[in-house]
Amino acid sequence: MITLTIDGNSIQAAPGTTVMEAALAHGIDIPRLCYHPELSISGNCRLCMVEVEGWLNPTISCSLECQEGMVVRTQSAQLTAIRREILGLLLSDHPLNCLVCDKAGSCILQKYAYEVGLAGTPYPVEVARPLHQDDNPFFIRDHQFCIMCSRCVRVCDEVVGAHAIDIAGRGFHNHIATPFDGPMIDSSCVFCGSCVQVCPTAALLPASRKGLGREWELDRIKTICGYCGVGCEIEFAVKDGEILYARGTPEGPVNGEFLCTKGRYGWDFAESPDRLTQPLIRRDLAYALGLTDTPWALPETSVLEVEKPNIEDSFIPVDWDTALDVTATKLAETVQTYGPDAVMGLASARCTNEENYLFQKLMRLGIGTNNVDHCARL
Amino acid sequence: MLDPTDLDAHRAEGAFTGLNKALTAMTPEDVIEQIKMSGLAGRGGAGFPTGLKLQFTRAATGMPKYVVCNFDESEPGTFKDRVLMQGDPFRTIEGVILSAYAVGATEGFIFIRGEYPEAAAVVQEAIDTLYDAGLLGKDIMGSGFDFDLSIRRGAGAYICGEETALFEAIEGKQGFPRLKPPFPTTHGVFGRPTAISNVETLALMPDIVRNGGEWLKQWGGGKSVGIKLFCLSGHVKQPGVVEVPYGTTVRDLVERFGGGGFDGAPQAILMGGAAGGFLHPDNFDTPLTNEALNPLGAPIGSGVVMVFNQNVDLGAVLKTLARFFVHESCGKCVPCRVGTVQIAKLLDRITGGDGAPDDLARLESLGQMMRKSCLCGLGMSAPNAMLSTLAHFRPMYDRLIAGGGA
Repeated sequence: MITLTIDGNSIQAAPGTTVMEAALAHGIDIPRLCYHPELSISGNCRLCMVEVEGWLNPTISCSLECQEGMVVRTQSAQLTAIRREILGLLLSDHPLNCLVCDKAGSCILQKYAYEVGLAGTPYPVEVARPLHQDDNPFFIRDHQFCIMCSRCVRVCDEVVGAHAIDIAGRGFHNHIATPFDGPMIDSSCVFCGSCVQVCPTAALLPASRKGLGREWELDRIKTICGYCGVGCEIEFAVKDGEILYARGTPEGPVNGEFLCTKGRYGWDFAESPDRLTQPLIRRDLAYALGLTDTPWALPETSVLEVEKPNIEDSFIPVDWDTALDVTATKLAETVQTYGPDAVMGLASARCTNEENYLFQKLMRLGIGTNNVDHCARL
Repeated sequence: MLDPTDLDAHRAEGAFTGLNKALTAMTPEDVIEQIKMSGLAGRGGAGFPTGLKLQFTRAATGMPKYVVCNFDESEPGTFKDRVLMQGDPFRTIEGVILSAYAVGATEGFIFIRGEYPEAAAVVQEAIDTLYDAGLLGKDIMGSGFDFDLSIRRGAGAYICGEETALFEAIEGKQGFPRLKPPFPTTHGVFGRPTAISNVETLALMPDIVRNGGEWLKQWGGGKSVGIKLFCLSGHVKQPGVVEVPYGTTVRDLVERFGGGGFDGAPQAILMGGAAGGFLHPDNFDTPLTNEALNPLGAPIGSGVVMVFNQNVDLGAVLKTLARFFVHESCGKCVPCRVGTVQIAKLLDRITGGDGAPDDLARLESLGQMMRKSCLCGLGMSAPNAMLSTLAHFRPMYDRLIAGGGA
């Protein structure tokens, strides 16, 4: 282990650890915009500069490897002056419309401007990238807010592997672009929204939240994605009981901050009027069991010709106990009458490994059959 | 004048005797030792000791190793490498082979700026000639040393003269500079140990090896050892490339070698190019050494000596330089991408008559921040010219602000 000093604290770090990593691991916050723990180091924002004793000039901490005996300062008059200058430059190329910005409250540029007390920029204002691209149902690319930190480019290349976007052009008027600036759908984008997740400003925004609420008005509800067996953790941002957007969290044990397109954008079923929210029993069966007075009748018009059949014509809602009772009774009857091999179990890829394990156990031990299969084999 | 690609004529004058000596009588370590002893420092602008660079590259683990000749020469006002390469390509190529032998490289590249098609043709012809003569390729001069050399062309970006951006360009990528460390001596082109040197630096190596390390030390001293090419341009009677020992004064250089000296009363000399700074006439008797010129904010850099007489609007020159950096900034890091634009905007405001005294403090603090915090040498040196005028031509600014512009 290497021993170094950061802001007067003696810190142990494994060889190869950067000063940024060592500082963050010990609760020492260093301002940073382009750094992201899951991504390669770009070093373009220059905000994380620190002073190293005996070194002539400050240096960025995100790429600085810890060295034995190194004495690092993350705060000083010189560093504050540099950070103020850099933030002042960024704000000269960034509309100051925090009052109506959806990202206010979670924008990292806003956070640092607040920390150094910058109400605006001391420089003449020119927004380099007025481009506004709303060309897909999932996210809006509003380049005027872009600070060219390249997190989106790196996450798309390094984590997702799609490399749908990169930096086009040079200098002040460069911008993040799909190949030849074509529509997102024509690129190799898989619409996982990881770029939106890591964007520090409002340059990449979920289309679903636009104008619907500000960060501090939102409740956070964590859940596990139901789309597949991976079990990614999702955090829904909810306002007045309605989901505005979904995101990953660094604490997610399986997926960290990253989700696929289904997990991040495929949650509209949650509030769909068609969503089944309680068990249903077929009406003929329910009538036979005495759960309803109205027997099932053949509809006058074929269900194939009705645009939206009334589900209660054929099913009646029951509570879980009733549904499980009916299912267990019917299964037991079948096994007793026809033997266990009259039953077959088909498990779902949406279930977790553990659930699938329990399911085969139910079939083999509970029912007594090896007739068990899985939808992924079909 | 010899035909630039007439190998026999050049060999009659001593070309490749240095290489022959190295390959027959010296170990690679001996070559490095002689270069170190000579005090040779990079002539491209940064001035890193060449011997150390070779030593670090030789000591680095990882194969293959590469040598790269930086012929991107894109500093405005610099044309020495073009003159050198178009007149005598063999001298530099001999230096490339020597440094390859010294570091243990088997392949090398000459990176030539896109705007130099004539030079590229001459160098290509020289390389072909050397392959035919057994001075490149397998078993050079029967020594068992193999080395392949080829040309890579730039596409017109100033940033690609920065060594790590140059590597990116050779690798076929966009010319963005890399973070340092790691340095090229361990992680250069294709991530391999690489010795990269300027054309002029490499051109000095054959004579150093042939005559021994002490040879270069007969001129100059301290951190400014040997002879240096200067590119005289602007308001001098006769512009051109001049080779003088370090320590010659700036005035001497212009008056003795400028075809009769200054053309009109001089107002300032831009030293080191767009990335350099303006020298005030009060300081024209300064010797051409890094030690004397760096504190004046007018570094030798790549050797630009561009004279401006009293008829020139220095504010307009500054704006041109500022716009140059706006155009050439790669846009990777914030201080350079936005800082270069703001320098240009503030200079526009001041020369346009809308400047305030506060603007000068703003320029100063912006410039100092860029020097400390930009990602690469381009950004760090982009404010230099402006800062040198703030320090030495302050009355011009005071006049512009008091008088409402130019």
